[in-house]
Amino acid sequence: MTAPSRTGPQPSADDPRVMLDRDIGVFEPVPPYPPRTEREAEFYTLGDGQMLLNMGPQHPSTHGVLRVVLKLDGEKVVDLDPVLGYLHRGVEKLCENADYHQVISQVDPLEYISSLFCEWSPVIAFEKLLDVDVPRRAEYIRVLSGELNRIASHALFMGWFALDLGGLTPILWSFIERDEIVEMLAALTGQRMLFNYFRIGGVNGDLNHEFMSRLGDWMSRATKQIESNLTLLNQNEIFVRRARGLGVIDTAGALRMCMTGPNLRATGVPFDVRRAHPYSVYPELDFDVPTRTEGDSLARYLLRMEEIKQSIRIIDQCLHQMPDGPIMAKLPRLLRPRPGRAYAAIEGPRGQYSTYAISDGTDQPFRMRIHDPSFIHLQSVGVLMQNNLIADTMAIMASLDPVMGGVDK
Amino acid sequence: MTAIARTWGRLTLPGKVVFTLVPILAALTVGLIAVIAIFGGAIWDILLANLGIVRFVIAVTIILLVTIPIAFLNIYLEMKVIALMNLRVGPDRVGPWGSLLSVVHGLKVLMKEDFTPTGADAVVFTWAPVVTYGAAVMTVLVLPFAPGLIAQDFNIGLLYFFAVGGMGVVGLLMAGWASFNKYSLLGGLRSAAQIISYEIPLTLSVVGLLILAGTMSLNGIVEQQSGWFTDWFVFRQPLGFLIFFIAATAEGNRTPFDLTEADSEIVAGFATEYSGMRFGFFFFAEYVNVFILSALAVVLFFGGWNAPFPFPAISIPIDLAAIGLPLLFLIALVPPIATLIFAAPFYLMRSSMRWWVALIVGFVLFNVVAGGLVFAWAFVSFDWVAGLVWFLAKTFGFVFVFVWMRGTLPRVRIDQLMGFAWKWLLPAALLNLFVTAAAVVVVGS
Repeated sequence: MTAPSRTGPQPSADDPRVMLDRDIGVFEPVPPYPPRTEREAEFYTLGDGQMLLNMGPQHPSTHGVLRVVLKLDGEKVVDLDPVLGYLHRGVEKLCENADYHQVISQVDPLEYISSLFCEWSPVIAFEKLLDVDVPRRAEYIRVLSGELNRIASHALFMGWFALDLGGLTPILWSFIERDEIVEMLAALTGQRMLFNYFRIGGVNGDLNHEFMSRLGDWMSRATKQIESNLTLLNQNEIFVRRARGLGVIDTAGALRMCMTGPNLRATGVPFDVRRAHPYSVYPELDFDVPTRTEGDSLARYLLRMEEIKQSIRIIDQCLHQMPDGPIMAKLPRLLRPRPGRAYAAIEGPRGQYSTYAISDGTDQPFRMRIHDPSFIHLQSVGVLMQNNLIADTMAIMASLDPVMGGVDK
Repeated sequence: MTAIARTWGRLTLPGKVVFTLVPILAALTVGLIAVIAIFGGAIWDILLANLGIVRFVIAVTIILLVTIPIAFLNIYLEMKVIALMNLRVGPDRVGPWGSLLSVVHGLKVLMKEDFTPTGADAVVFTWAPVVTYGAAVMTVLVLPFAPGLIAQDFNIGLLYFFAVGGMGVVGLLMAGWASFNKYSLLGGLRSAAQIISYEIPLTLSVVGLLILAGTMSLNGIVEQQSGWFTDWFVFRQPLGFLIFFIAATAEGNRTPFDLTEADSEIVAGFATEYSGMRFGFFFFAEYVNVFILSALAVVLFFGGWNAPFPFPAISIPIDLAAIGLPLLFLIALVPPIATLIFAAPFYLMRSSMRWWVALIVGFVLFNVVAGGLVFAWAFVSFDWVAGLVWFLAKTFGFVFVFVWMRGTLPRVRIDQLMGFAWKWLLPAALLNLFVTAAAVVVVGS
């Protein structure tokens, strides 16, 4: 362990013998400090034949920069320790130092796969604070673009899930779907990914010709196209056998883990914010809340695919019921809501996405708390991954569909 | 002396290398010529006396060289076919339709840094790709490409094939162990478990065929399947072929059994820490393996180099000597005249085409036509050309199937993989063997 002497030939750093003399603890994912909690002490104490494996933050299939330390017995995951925070930007604090309009662009990159939903919930919260009535046309446009974004997100989920199970092709097929939707949203909002489209009291721009023609073109073949994508996986014996019974969680467990959205509905609870606590124009629209009872990865996958069909139904109704009128409420340029608190929840593609905003009468929110379903779902990973094989860890995580931008905020 | 020393000192490093090498090479050449001139007759006699060894050395060299274009072709095929299945364009920049991209890949791999990670067992780490690649290449030795085109016709060819082919897993295990990386270790151990498990159904699945064929020489097995395609062993051993194909997929670490390098689970498996040409050797070995397993499937079950139906014997007698002196005129005049004839319509029909572009088009067309004619003549005249064509066509058909599976199927889990081998494939292979044996006993071979 002595440092090499400064005189004489210096050993090359590439020489493996030199490095082997040193402490090889640097290769172990053991934290260099003494354990801070009992749980940490227990986790980092290895039993007989156990091994720690550091997965991430740079791993081909963690969805973003998540780090998971796995405690392995052979290929079996005995225990695991997710480490978050690699993408933390302090968005909530940023929002508290921006005025109400600027908040929308700050929260955009949280769930970057479905940005419209990140905008939607703070916008509703601020509208409650300001007590504004949103024009009905604006509400319909919000629902229309939101459901399109939900389809894009679910289509991408199908690809990611298959990719984590080893399928190469579905990700590229599903990207076709997502790309068409993203292109039409780009025609509507001017951006492909971080739309920055919703405004307090309405939306940024009216429906335009390019968006409508792209949407009409896509709607004419959407159902057929999605069905043909699904045949690639739904009838694939290997895929179904791997996904069935993988990461099972029962209703009580899902509720205890605060799951919402498709992950909760896959356990048989028909909870959908759009129906349970209706917002926007959803009460006027006719759609089902699909549920499944198995609670495994396959159920979560099939449920999302079912939701795509429901979203297409909603889009169809939106197009038929779209009223004329203004798309923005009359509001002053500088918003100073009266002091108070507002809470707004919406149903995002991943579950209940909600915002709790406190106003102190200035033009900036005093406090803004963002409840992101990805973060909440990631806590059940510890329960679901245990006693599975390494191969299934990433598949289970993919089936929960977290977006690390929203997890780390 | 000083002048020479100063001049030498002014040379750059490449200059020094060249000025050292040139005299050495010149001396060696002169020496070689001298040796041949003096002992030429004796050397010739020795070579003639040991013709078997000479033939073996040449064949081995050719095989070693031929695996590289085969691997290139497989890589290109894989990139292009998977791209088409993914609704992408795939490689289209280097060469026509991107066909030279795999060559560029090879050059890139050669130029990359060859990195040995800290803590790795350097010797084992270096030799692991050599073992894997060597095992893959050595199996080509017994493959009959065409009638008479076989490097070494062992009477235990199939046994040799399985024995040497199974050695590749040693290289993967070495790589997994020596990399000093847990992902590599998992990949190496997975490959050991997987390949050893699938070796058993793979070997058992062809025992039924061996009972029917009565020989282990791959050449002999191919010769027994001559005639119509109904004589191929796949129609007598359908279950055996199915088991063989599944086990071969697992043997070659191909999707859906590519657990050893499962990128969504264990990064790149045994190859995680490899870079540069060492990684290239693993890469090559994988694609050579795909070719070899396809070739073995063709040899054992699909008639090898036999055509699917017996060709009517056509012989085109071309006696070049009978033409005599006009042959010289033919050789001198036919190419330019044909080039002009082929170029004329392009030049006349398309006014935008420059005359020299038309000439290039004509020249290429002439070469295509002449090459096609020569190929057709060779195909009907030499049975080894026809055999090689049939063999390669069938083999690349199988390569396509492997690529197709990679584009379509997800990966199985390790417990499903092992369960499938021991619970389904092994009993099925034994059943196949017993049924075949019973049939041979009852019916008589």
